[in-house]
Amino acid sequence: MPYFRKHWLLAGLLAVAATAVATLALFDPATSGLFPPCPLRYLTGWYCPGCGSLRALHQLLHGNLRAAWSLNPLTVLLSPFLAYGTISYAFFEIRGRYLPRIFLPPVWIRVLCAVIILFGIMRNIPVHPFNLLAPGATLLP
Amino acid sequence: MFCDLCGANNPEGSKVCTQCGRNFQPTPENSIQPPMPMGVTPSVHVPNYLVFAILTTVLCCLPAGIPAIVYAAQVNGKLQAGDIAGAQLASKNAKMWCWVAFGAGLAVLVLYMLVVGLGVMSNMTRH
Repeated sequence: MPYFRKHWLLAGLLAVAATAVATLALFDPATSGLFPPCPLRYLTGWYCPGCGSLRALHQLLHGNLRAAWSLNPLTVLLSPFLAYGTISYAFFEIRGRYLPRIFLPPVWIRVLCAVIILFGIMRNIPVHPFNLLAPGATLLP
Repeated sequence: MFCDLCGANNPEGSKVCTQCGRNFQPTPENSIQPPMPMGVTPSVHVPNYLVFAILTTVLCCLPAGIPAIVYAAQVNGKLQAGDIAGAQLASKNAKMWCWVAFGAGLAVLVLYMLVVGLGVMSNMTRH
């Protein structure tokens, strides 16, 4: 790709990302109706591993760690890693090199994959203590 | 031939990578590539797209993110075993599944916007 076109693409992507983060910070997905519902939840009524992640990120952007944790603990746990990884990718595109990177052993990635799937299954079990994993369960009085 | 820095497919015999400009000429620095001993961080960089795989899995909440994570694990596994070509193939697959998951998420968003937009319009005509 020509150099100048790559620059415009990058600027466009950064603008889209900034708009998305600003929208998520300004509007609460729990009340605004601006964000689409999870398709799996809408069609089947089941929670997926990502259910509550947008609401959790909104709470994180406002510094409400407890509310975010109750909506989706997985998102809260992964967010530092995801944020650092995204910044590292952006840094690579802009400066041509990565920030210091950690090589994850493949076993860890497979375990993470299993954790995501198991979390998705467990939060659908309507029995204590699994029901505490459903989005927002521990927020209720 | 695949660039070992960015993974782009270049014509055979290229002197530099068309995408990232990496020098393919054998120099003492990049001509020798012994197989990686187990447990050593490989010096060759093949992106595994793990961050995007997790982002699309968690945010688009779609099953397409799962194969992306599995391929990301494969990239690191093959890198560790010294199989650069295999890692690049897995990297390509990881990237493809990230885009599939992202595209599906985007499609849902567009569909949702359309439905909401139509709802608003039909409400306006009723009043």
